Amino acid sequence: MYRKQVRRRRAVLALLIIGSFALLTLTYGSGSNSLQRGVTAVFAPVSSVLDRALKPARDLINWVDETFDARGRNHQLEGELEAARREAVGAQAALAENREYRELLGLGKSGAIPEGYEPVTGRVIGLSPTVWFSEVMIDVGSGNGVKPHDPVVNGQGLIGEVTAVAGGVSKVTLISDHSSAVGVKVVPAGVLGIVKPTVGEPNTLVLSFLNSDKNVHKGQAVVTSGWSAGEIGSRFPPNIPVGEITNASLIVQEAQEKVNVRPYADLRNLGTVQVLTGGSRR
Amino acid sequence: MIVTPKILARLVIVGLFGVLLQLTFFSQVELFHVSPDILPALVVSLGLLGGTMTGAVSGFAIGFLLDCLLIQPLGGASLVLIAVGYAAGTFRERFEIHSRLVAPLLCAILTFAAELGFGAVEAMFGIHTDVSVLVVRDMLLKSVFAFFLGWAIYVGLRRLVRPALVDEATVRRTRRPTVLGA
Repeated sequence: MYRKQVRRRRAVLALLIIGSFALLTLTYGSGSNSLQRGVTAVFAPVSSVLDRALKPARDLINWVDETFDARGRNHQLEGELEAARREAVGAQAALAENREYRELLGLGKSGAIPEGYEPVTGRVIGLSPTVWFSEVMIDVGSGNGVKPHDPVVNGQGLIGEVTAVAGGVSKVTLISDHSSAVGVKVVPAGVLGIVKPTVGEPNTLVLSFLNSDKNVHKGQAVVTSGWSAGEIGSRFPPNIPVGEITNASLIVQEAQEKVNVRPYADLRNLGTVQVLTGGSRR
Repeated sequence: MIVTPKILARLVIVGLFGVLLQLTFFSQVELFHVSPDILPALVVSLGLLGGTMTGAVSGFAIGFLLDCLLIQPLGGASLVLIAVGYAAGTFRERFEIHSRLVAPLLCAILTFAAELGFGAVEAMFGIHTDVSVLVVRDMLLKSVFAFFLGWAIYVGLRRLVRPALVDEATVRRTRRPTVLGA
């Protein structure tokens, strides 16, 4: 009797493992399938409601984290800590949201959103829980005109691209995901390169140079290059702010042909984002 | 655990709520720059309370739902969480749980293992960039959070499925003996 029970358990375990491998093999690299689209369509409204309901609690915990972070810093940062405190008050959540929208509007007015693209505003409703993936779910999808490979920005700059779309939700792979690579140029130096992330360090990107005849300096801005050569080209339109160079010693530049870049966008704390739809680069 | 339809319904609700809470809350909060991951702790608790089968099946289901909602390749998270649930269930079936620290400790250890597992699944398909040492710090902190959150999850789940637990003895407060004439 006991042996029979053990055999049955092992059979179920083997079935589950084989099922998982089969699912992985069938669905890897295929984007979203109808099952996932159905499940996300059902749960997207619930996620959206939960996301809004839990925002004050999230703000409070994030405020605690920011407070720990701010300890030991100098006077200059005390102002920012005060600002973080103010933001933590529940009633200020709406104000923070307004600020994000204003920043997005500012990004559009500054010309950072290229012509021919229609921005669609969405909210982040879910994040991947592990350090290995940098992906977020947003509450706009194919119903809003979002398509795979659309660039995604927030008020500070580029955050990633849409990699899967369902009816009312989309998956955005952030520029800090290990699968991401963005063609960029350093301004005003004009040096071209590719920005890739370092897994585990979302606030550090690595810029590898394509042409290294000019040197770059700390504080210089990095924007999308938007290059194209015939039929192939960057998925991102040109001149979207990506980040700034944080470490640019000449020795490292010449020896390794790479420098560190800090993304403008706070990729760990995303609220409202804009998907740039309708562009020609897909 | 005797899984009646009522208990099954409770487990399904717990699984659904756990995944939604992870995506909408825990993944979006940070303590020391790390977001807690409650799903391995949830699966460990289910494995500890229900045994290998409950652990493995709930691991598969929770992983499947997570992959569906994140529009990721299906099966990756399931594979890791099946192992976590089965390991917790095996522990329950082989050893007596005497100390209250067993559940949270197991949550912490198996959360660390799960994070390694997620990394291994990702590495299986190729990681095309550098991996920082900070990943280890991230995994260790997730384990520390899992210790505390796992304790709460285990206690809550135990209360929720108490009618189905086979070895749950009725705890009665013993009365002090009355001393006549005192």
